[in-house]
Amino acid sequence: MTDSLDSNLRNILQQAKDAIAASEKPAQLEELRVNYLGKKGELTNQLKQIGSLPHEERPKFGDKVNAVKQEVAQLLNHKKAELDAIVLAAALAAEKIDVTLPGRGISTGGIHPVTRTMQRIEDIFVAMGFGIATGPEIEDDFHNFEALNIPPEHPARAMHDTFYVKTESGDVAVEDGSEGSHLLRTHTSPVQARYMLSEKPPINIIAPGRVYRCDSDVTHTPMFHQVEGLMVDEGISFADLKGVLTHFLQQFFETELKIRLRPSYFPFTEPSAEVDISCVFCADDHGEPQGCRICKHTGWIEVLGSGMVHPEVFKHVGIDSEKYTGFAFGLGVERLTMLRYGVTDLRLFFDNDLTFLEQFK
Amino acid sequence: MIISEQWLRDWVRVDLNAQEIADHLTNAGLEVDGVEVVAGPIDKLVVGKVLTVEKHPDADRLNCTTVDIGTEVLNIVCGAANVRQDLMVAVATIGAKLPNGLKIKKAKVRGVESIGMLCSASELGLEENSAGLIELDADAEIGQRVDEYLALDDRLIDIDLTPNRGDCLSVQGIAREMKVLADGSYHPLDIQPIESTIDDTIEVDLDDSVNCPRYLGRVIKGISQDATTPLWMQERLRRSGVRPISPVVDITNYVMIELGQPMHAFDLAKLNEKIVIRQSTAGEKITLLDETEATLDGETLVIADSKAPIAIAGVMGGLDSSIDDSTTNIVLEAAHFSRKSASGKARRYGLHTDSSFRFERGVDPQLPPQAIERATELVLEICGGDAGPVVEQANQNGLNSKPAVEIRLNRLVSLLGMPLDEAEVGDILNRIADSVVGENGVWQFTPPSYRFDIEREADLVEEVARVKGYDNIPTALPRIAPRSIAASEDRISARQVRQAFVARDYREAITYSFIDPSVHQSFSDEAPVELANPLADNMAVMRTSLLPGLMGALQFNANRQHDRIRFFEIGASYHKDGNVFQEQQRLAGVVIGAAQATQWGIAKSQKVDFFDIKADLEAVLALTGHKTPIIFNEFEHIALHPGQCSSLIRQEADGNQITIGYLGRLHPSLEKQYGVDNVYAFEINLDVALNAHLPAFEVMSRFPSIKRDLSVLISEDLAVAKVLDSLRDELGEALVKVELFDVYRGQGVADGSKSISLSLVLQHRDRTMTDEDATSLMGDALSLLETKWSATLRS
Repeated sequence: MTDSLDSNLRNILQQAKDAIAASEKPAQLEELRVNYLGKKGELTNQLKQIGSLPHEERPKFGDKVNAVKQEVAQLLNHKKAELDAIVLAAALAAEKIDVTLPGRGISTGGIHPVTRTMQRIEDIFVAMGFGIATGPEIEDDFHNFEALNIPPEHPARAMHDTFYVKTESGDVAVEDGSEGSHLLRTHTSPVQARYMLSEKPPINIIAPGRVYRCDSDVTHTPMFHQVEGLMVDEGISFADLKGVLTHFLQQFFETELKIRLRPSYFPFTEPSAEVDISCVFCADDHGEPQGCRICKHTGWIEVLGSGMVHPEVFKHVGIDSEKYTGFAFGLGVERLTMLRYGVTDLRLFFDNDLTFLEQFK
Repeated sequence: MIISEQWLRDWVRVDLNAQEIADHLTNAGLEVDGVEVVAGPIDKLVVGKVLTVEKHPDADRLNCTTVDIGTEVLNIVCGAANVRQDLMVAVATIGAKLPNGLKIKKAKVRGVESIGMLCSASELGLEENSAGLIELDADAEIGQRVDEYLALDDRLIDIDLTPNRGDCLSVQGIAREMKVLADGSYHPLDIQPIESTIDDTIEVDLDDSVNCPRYLGRVIKGISQDATTPLWMQERLRRSGVRPISPVVDITNYVMIELGQPMHAFDLAKLNEKIVIRQSTAGEKITLLDETEATLDGETLVIADSKAPIAIAGVMGGLDSSIDDSTTNIVLEAAHFSRKSASGKARRYGLHTDSSFRFERGVDPQLPPQAIERATELVLEICGGDAGPVVEQANQNGLNSKPAVEIRLNRLVSLLGMPLDEAEVGDILNRIADSVVGENGVWQFTPPSYRFDIEREADLVEEVARVKGYDNIPTALPRIAPRSIAASEDRISARQVRQAFVARDYREAITYSFIDPSVHQSFSDEAPVELANPLADNMAVMRTSLLPGLMGALQFNANRQHDRIRFFEIGASYHKDGNVFQEQQRLAGVVIGAAQATQWGIAKSQKVDFFDIKADLEAVLALTGHKTPIIFNEFEHIALHPGQCSSLIRQEADGNQITIGYLGRLHPSLEKQYGVDNVYAFEINLDVALNAHLPAFEVMSRFPSIKRDLSVLISEDLAVAKVLDSLRDELGEALVKVELFDVYRGQGVADGSKSISLSLVLQHRDRTMTDEDATSLMGDALSLLETKWSATLRS
């Protein structure tokens, strides 16, 4: 009797093993679990037959059935995990994407390269403690010329190629620099005069903005941008001017370039200096310029004009030039932009050609 | 100013080569633009004399010549028209190499042997084009090297002078400068008065001795009409950039370049009686040397005779009194015109001459006596004739020497920020001027008569600094007083606005502030600020709006295959009220093309419309932190589509409403003009739009909210904003948020109606929003919509 039950049990186990191995879907496994392990399953049925066995054999047979149940359950679990993994793998494979397809949505635009340079200039000076001042672009003769020690008919006016503005009387174009005539400011220097008229030293400001000259060719546009700088306090010296400009230019070009000051002439500064930087285009590893087309093989590039505030300017704005001294400088934003990014044609800045602008993010 | 190195070396001896001289000048503020070689040494190029000239047997245009070069006589075939017997010529002998690269070899020209070549000035590198052979002076020494004779081994130093250094506009001036800078030995000309051999003079009436403090005139009679300007003088003029014309004119130009004194010569025979220096009378006319007629104003200094002006003083002489081929008697003029009288005249009459250039910058008032003697010497030498005595009229007040300028060592040290030695400073000052006295670190410096730029201590500080060398001034960093530089939170910055637009895919443009008046008219009916002297007609008025410039930029790119363009610009617009000018900081933008760039996964992209741009503006302006959103109201603007145009209105905390800008589609007629379609444009006044609201914390409600949706049918004409505003009013605080998520027209919605779907978020501050509360509030909402706007609930 026991023998036949034992062999039954063995057959059931074998059948279950075969059926589980042949299963391909989780649902089939669930069916098998019910068939073998369920309340009416075959192994449960076997256990029900335990009553037909002699008392002493019952526990042993019970153990055997339970062992088989456990084995079948384990096989089912294994197979389930196996099939789940296959299903997941298939699902993952189906959801695969091409990560190289372009992203979707809006892109970003960009600021104008002149603005970019202007912002860098401002940031460097603001970090040094300078404030930012502004003034009108339609200026009067006094602030643009007179207060800056450029009286009417001064030869320096000829260098300025001034745009004059028509006054209300219409045909009377006040171009002779007479009092009250208005013009488009030819430099940002009038902001100096305005600021000193309203504020007392210590003064340390920069004044960025648009300026205008009646001139247009390969190297001139009738409108361009300047940044004026002004520092006035007791004991400000030419050496300070050199220091501030060296710091600025090294920060701007992010290199330990050398600067050279050459005597020059601006009516509103004395002494005056033209500032050159060692050429950044042909410098070797030690920063020594080797000479190139851009620096005309001189190793130097002219970048800005500067000087000590002229006593006559101080007089116009009511600052005691015995007590206070100061320096001023003016730099061309387009010029610095060209040098920084290697732009070769000034006129590109105002064509607003997208193909050009898109090169500057 | 271009100066010949050789000429300069006649005046000052320095142990420096031309490039080193240039470097000294540049470092001292006389910027050298370039140093150019004239020709350099040329071997086997010698002076020869043409002995015979015969026609070439086989060529009409060629001549066969024999030329004596001292050591031998050469047979040379020559094609120049001006070859003739006894002409002194430059002979390139076999083996000579000319500046243009030509190497001279023995040759047969149409069968005739030619041993060498006769040269033109251009073949020697002296000018661009030459008509014939260079004609050497008759007294040239046969066999002499031509490079020595013509001083070909010369360099031209091109100096870009600043307007304050008029004293350097001469060989003498640059030589003086080199004396100071390089401590060179200075050898000025030894100019002696020329004894008069005749008594002839011309009467000089100095009417205006303020503007002309000194006038010297001298009669020279009997000059030769056959005289020619010697080659050495022609060469020096040419190298200084002055075209040789005729002997007397060349001499006056030569003296100007040599000494710095502009001069003039009149034909005595053409003068009426005398010379008068006076102010012009308005309307007077004069025909000038360049054959143009100038109509004078009433405030121009002129040289006149008893009848009419014969020159604009210091600018240009008149044609009627000028010397010509038949002139035998002349009047030389050397005068001092004040800077004040000269300034602006060249510009006023459009006559920029070497003379006006110098007088505007200041000419040494002590120069005229020297210049007139020097010029007389040269006239007599070159043209012959007899000189009368010099007539001088002067106003000593105008010629007085300048007051002394004090300079203090301690001021120098503090202004330059460097230690300086008293003895060294004294030495530098003494090199610049003869009359310097000083002790204990204070000097009294009397500026030389030619230095108009030294008037005060600061000027001398620069003199010392530049002679010492700016390179020797140390570098320091000043202590900078802290400024209140942090921006106020009252406003957001233009930089934030730029960044926000960049993040929304806009690109910044910078366009000109002046625009075409006719374009202006299409965008504004405001009277613009006009330029008196525009560069071009299409740049004649100042913009009152940034849109014309931006439309130009848009069109430029649209014409270059860009179909999606999004530009913005930040800049000033310019306005006037009578003679008061105002500027406004503005932001404007123009957009064309697809709302989104063409990309995969999105159905063919829609064209940009009003609401895309509205969203951009709302998002950027939201940065100001104002609690109430920008109000958009129907608006009219001449450049915009009447049915798609809105104002932007900011409601202030106090309820005030301020119009800050506008947005709309470009008017179809303008779109047509620009050849573009579907352009949206906006413009905002940043002066007010950037005003910001300071955030103020409010305790958040901790109680749950309820979200309910509502769809109603309303009249097509009803502005949705009104509906939303009324809901906010009705439900008050409990309505935390209302969003419009659909607008529908079509099936199920009658014509003249539209369906709007709203999502309302309801929340109490102090208790939970219950379903009953929400239902009651939604009931209130619906009955409001029904009664106020005749809305019906959409089932």
